[in-house]
Amino acid sequence: MFSSAAIQEIEEIRTKYPNARAALLPALYVAQREFGWLSRKAYVAVAEQLGVPTATVRGVATFYAMYKQKPMGRHLIQLCTNVSCMLLGAERLVDFLKTKYGLEPGGISSDGRFSLVIMECIGACGTAPAMLVNDDFHENLTEKNLQDILEKYA
Amino acid sequence: MITVKINDREIKLEKPMTVLDAARSVGIKIPTLCYHEQLERYGGCRLCLVEVEKMPRLQTACTLIVADGMVVRTETEQIADVRRGILEFLLINHPLDCPYCDKAGECELQDLVEKYGPGKGRFTEKKRKVPESLQDPVIVRNMERCIMCTRCVRMCEGLQGASAIAVINRGGHSHIEPFSGGRFDCEYCGNCVSVCPVGAIMSRLHRHSYRPWQVKEQYETVCPYCGVGCTVITQVRDDVIKRVIPKLGSAVNNGMLCSRGRFGYEFVGSKDRLTMPLIRKDGTLAEATWEEAITLVAKKLSDVKSAYGSDSIAGMASPRCTNEDNYLFQKFLRVAVGTNNVDTTARAGFAGAQSFLENIFGQGATANIISGLANSDTVMVIGGDPTTVNPILGLQIRACARRGGQVMTVGEFEGLRIFSPTTLQPRQFTETTLLEGIVTALREKKGLSGANTPLEAKIKSINVTASDVAAKSGVTEKQLAAYVDILTAAATFSMVIGKEIVQSTGGSYKLLLLAAITYLANGRVYLLSEKANEQGALDMGCAPDMLPGYRPVAYPEFTKRYGAVWHAELSEKPGLHLFDMIEAAEKGTLRAMYVMGENPVCNIPNSGRVEKAFRNLDFLVVQDIFLTETAKLADVVLPALSWAEKDGTFTNMERRVQRVKKSVQREGMEDWKIVAEIAKNMGYRMDYTRAEEVFHEMAKVSPLYRDLTYEDIEKGENIYPYKGEPLRDVKEDIQVDTSAVSASAGKLYLKVERPLFHSGTMSTHAASLTNIYPHAVARIGAGRAKMLSLTEGDVVNIRSKSGSLALFIAIEKAGDDSSVTISNNFESKGAFRLADYTLDQVTKAPCIDAVEISIEKVTA
Amino acid sequence: METILLKNIQNPNSADITEYKKAGGYASIRKALGMEPQQVIDEVKKAGLRGRGGAGFPVAMKWTFASADPKFPKYLLCNADEGEPGTFKDRPILEKNPHLLIEGMVISGHALKAEYGYIYLRGEYPAAKHILNAAIKQAYDNNLLGENILGKGITFHLSVHQGAGAYICGEETALIESLEGDKGQPRIKPPFPVNVGVFSKPTVVNNVETLSNLPYIIAVGGEAYAKIGTPDCPGPKIFCVSGHVEKPGVYELPMGTRLKDIIYTHCGGIKGGKKLKAVIPGGISTPVLPPDKIDCAMDFVNMPKNGSMLGSGAVIVMDESVCLVKVCHRALKFFEHESCGKCSPCREGTGWLRAILGRIENGEGMEGDIDTMLAVSANMLGKTFCPLGDGAASVVQNFIKHFRPEFEEHIRAKKCVVNG
Repeated sequence: MFSSAAIQEIEEIRTKYPNARAALLPALYVAQREFGWLSRKAYVAVAEQLGVPTATVRGVATFYAMYKQKPMGRHLIQLCTNVSCMLLGAERLVDFLKTKYGLEPGGISSDGRFSLVIMECIGACGTAPAMLVNDDFHENLTEKNLQDILEKYA
Repeated sequence: MITVKINDREIKLEKPMTVLDAARSVGIKIPTLCYHEQLERYGGCRLCLVEVEKMPRLQTACTLIVADGMVVRTETEQIADVRRGILEFLLINHPLDCPYCDKAGECELQDLVEKYGPGKGRFTEKKRKVPESLQDPVIVRNMERCIMCTRCVRMCEGLQGASAIAVINRGGHSHIEPFSGGRFDCEYCGNCVSVCPVGAIMSRLHRHSYRPWQVKEQYETVCPYCGVGCTVITQVRDDVIKRVIPKLGSAVNNGMLCSRGRFGYEFVGSKDRLTMPLIRKDGTLAEATWEEAITLVAKKLSDVKSAYGSDSIAGMASPRCTNEDNYLFQKFLRVAVGTNNVDTTARAGFAGAQSFLENIFGQGATANIISGLANSDTVMVIGGDPTTVNPILGLQIRACARRGGQVMTVGEFEGLRIFSPTTLQPRQFTETTLLEGIVTALREKKGLSGANTPLEAKIKSINVTASDVAAKSGVTEKQLAAYVDILTAAATFSMVIGKEIVQSTGGSYKLLLLAAITYLANGRVYLLSEKANEQGALDMGCAPDMLPGYRPVAYPEFTKRYGAVWHAELSEKPGLHLFDMIEAAEKGTLRAMYVMGENPVCNIPNSGRVEKAFRNLDFLVVQDIFLTETAKLADVVLPALSWAEKDGTFTNMERRVQRVKKSVQREGMEDWKIVAEIAKNMGYRMDYTRAEEVFHEMAKVSPLYRDLTYEDIEKGENIYPYKGEPLRDVKEDIQVDTSAVSASAGKLYLKVERPLFHSGTMSTHAASLTNIYPHAVARIGAGRAKMLSLTEGDVVNIRSKSGSLALFIAIEKAGDDSSVTISNNFESKGAFRLADYTLDQVTKAPCIDAVEISIEKVTA
Repeated sequence: METILLKNIQNPNSADITEYKKAGGYASIRKALGMEPQQVIDEVKKAGLRGRGGAGFPVAMKWTFASADPKFPKYLLCNADEGEPGTFKDRPILEKNPHLLIEGMVISGHALKAEYGYIYLRGEYPAAKHILNAAIKQAYDNNLLGENILGKGITFHLSVHQGAGAYICGEETALIESLEGDKGQPRIKPPFPVNVGVFSKPTVVNNVETLSNLPYIIAVGGEAYAKIGTPDCPGPKIFCVSGHVEKPGVYELPMGTRLKDIIYTHCGGIKGGKKLKAVIPGGISTPVLPPDKIDCAMDFVNMPKNGSMLGSGAVIVMDESVCLVKVCHRALKFFEHESCGKCSPCREGTGWLRAILGRIENGEGMEGDIDTMLAVSANMLGKTFCPLGDGAASVVQNFIKHFRPEFEEHIRAKKCVVNG
């Protein structure tokens, strides 16, 4: 079940649209924040709040790459390896994350601090390689500064 | 006029349509996969790509609307290449399961590849692997075979309205599954199975048990379960029904089925079927020969008749039996026994409600076409969830909502919830006040036209203000006003009435109020009907006061006329209706009963009382297909052939007469044949060799079915009033029973569940339906459960004045705290075991809305 | 050419409304709201503005269709789903010049008589979300959004709707589906969004950059605007350059600037003085070009003649050290990941092509693989529901067209012949 704060947030979001269904994507983000990831429980909460069938909610959510279908680490690393970032060495950073943090794409680091998701171009091609950690953009990455950046996330 | 050219052939069209439809109209075949005529167009498989002059890209014929002057080519080298390419794409991840897959022989992909496909594929990479899912008891999923046509999802979401399955993920990782990922836990209508073109979604009932080309026989018949009367096709191999499928384009259900119709046929082949007659000897039932049994029945009935008179014998016909069975049964009682003591369990709701409404609006008031609900702009539902009682009718209401129609309810109905109906939820036992308030306000808004004087006289006498409604029922003035506004604005209004209203205190008065609303809103009325042939049983004269075709027995001109055709003198004394029979048996004025195709101990309240009454009889004959609770009390049990094993007719709630066709050969006799045998043994000849002959005689004597033949029915000339004379007179004096009951705080009341997966007790003999809904439960609201410290799965004793039941509980999140809901489908565990009743004085239906109960937890 | 779209972005507070106004912002809105909606459309027509999302459709024409439709309310959707790999031209506007977009949207909304606007912002731009929301609030507070804007009786409501990681939502009908709370699967056309769009109402979908041109067009007039760029493709264009150049980044230049000039003059040439091997001129879906094809004007007319497309103007530069098999493989991984799954050729074809390329890259290529890829991509081209499938197919076709020997070598040698 949603907290009353979450319900209020969803109801406010809903006023921006002529019907409840259009609030689905924003509501899923609220649920993801509330529950940590989109479990069946989260889907049921969204479904009941908006009056959308549960199967439909899950079908829509799983279409989009940024809704998480399994538990995540404390901080989410979204690293791009698309062409421009790949040309500038993104793959080496993937290897680095594996060696240093035991972090595989789609997995959680051994200490539970980080999850890694490989992204398909996050619009930082001119400052590649780049990544998001939670909502923070980090660009012009190297193995050295990557480590420095990640150390700041407890 | 739109002129297009397809493959150099000029086609003239009167209205715009897709290129695909235009091609089909002249017999030009364009291959398709994701297209389905009932479903919203998708354009995803790309198999129907065609060349269109002046359009640079190839176009999908299923989505492109024709334009005047369009030139289309469907059979060029390029198109042939494209089709090979698309089919190659569909096959790269499709497993080579044909030798093993149940769909082979009726697989659309197989057929298309054979006709248009490449001979060999070039794919040498790893195929997608998804294991077969047998997690659901009824539907098996094999997502490796899925070609993502999404017909199943579009059917479930768009047409069925259940939204139980969805496409998960995207791209090449897409697959289709129900919310749980395993069990469907859905309405199990199986309409997804109907539309899957490959072996990805299939029924488990016939898994690996036959090949489509081995099915030699196929019969178009009518579903035996509810009053909708869907057309079903039974597919038979070696006298076993292998599968039941719908028929696209059929009049009533147009290719849709519900779980009962589709998966409920297994009762026919159940090993619990009665095979031999049984006679009670020394207290136990023992097998006997037909000769022994028939002779005994004839002798005993004759003895009772001589000793106590004809009226000491009564018969119960059946809304599950065919018109032929029922016609002959009432004839038997009237001519061989000489009594009008004949009735059916239709008396418990449908019969009284229908005659009440027909007294106001004329005969045929409820004979409205079910699919018309989808086209109504406003539908009001009260007294039952149509999506569980008459599921295909419920689908029409969902379609109405989808098309932007207003769906209004009194009370919450789970099957309509997601369609956001306008709902009023009056406090318990205050419906009458609410309905009176609606009538008052609606009359003020719309005025009276003068068309129906008796009804208008009643309407004028109703004056309940909005503040009265608010005070008594809890429905606010604002809510009431909004509700009435919708009714006022309705241009094509339909009222749907369920049994709960009829079986409630003051039910006839409530029916009057509902009739008034329907009249003021200028609409039509539908009465939900739980059994396949309730209407037919009444049409056949299985009523104590009516001869076949609704001519009253009390009128000598009719008894003489019928008597002439039947070569007998008929009694003019109206007989006992259903509940009077029970009372008479209790008192001892009724000494013998003949029950055909019915299980009154289970199917009518109050089970304990019925049982006691039957035990008091000198002689009880029960004729059925299973050894029911009632049959277990009988002196003689006669095994009958089931619905699938005989020919006949059913009349559905639209009053549409339809043919029941024999699909399976089995040794034994039809109900009507057994009745004829008993009659013969009692000295009254009934020589019929076929059901059609029985129907023919009935059509001679019933003014309603006059001259109707099987041929007429099969031609589709089977809609009320056929070639007959409907009765149009309206009663001047509308009688109502205004009894009322009020809630006592803190008391717990019984509610009867009418579930989707069961109908009567017959469905509990179908393994798949009991797999879905296996045993009786007491459904309790979360609040009440918490008060009693109950958790899911606990066992409780539910007690009432009339009896007690030990049941598992199920906790309903949204359940109301003043009632416990129990089904009445599982023998000896039915709600009617607890239900004492009073009779509505007008409809003679049992009022079971005020049954007080108590619960206590059973500690292990 | 003066900086128009990226004006003032060096100012660390450029996203603040006060700074924007100081730099001359929100003057056009006043002027536009004093004009009739048709007059605004006429200016846009004179300006010859073409969509900057990649398709280059004439904006005034799209607006005219929507305006002519009798249904109300109408909707203006800003396509901020910038997802074409290599593209990062809208992000500077969203993060550093949000008021330019807002002003552009109010003006466009007025032209269309649209009461509601949504910015469909990709989920991968969380910073932009916060910045846009703050800017929108400032605009509302300053009577530049909402009811009776600037007392001129015009209503326009704007909010941000965040996507959740689906490139396909950059396609306008998929974007609409996503806004309505569904999967981003493209819709059957016709009907077109200008008649039946979001919530079944007339809808115009325009790119961030497109809408951001409006304030300038209103300020100087369509005729003056059209003097920038080329007669067929007027106006400024933000080019975004990435890969092996000395100075990657965003460059606002006139439409029609030559690709060679972008790479060598503006971006300082190939990084470390290496040799150019291949260029993708307008985002991953546009055909790759060999070095002898880069002397061409970057616009919607000349690039197609040159064998490629302007697309989003996202230039990806690859030097001699790049294994093109690897690049092609990575591109197909992208398309496979982003395929919505609706139509069979794209759903199955992208995976098939990716699998073959993967084998080749890994040294497991077989004779016949190239011909198979050409056949498979030919079976996709023009047969799919939407252009995503075309993009995937054309990547394979064009890489092989220009660089076939490298693929053949890689297969024969069973390893990368560039990097060993």
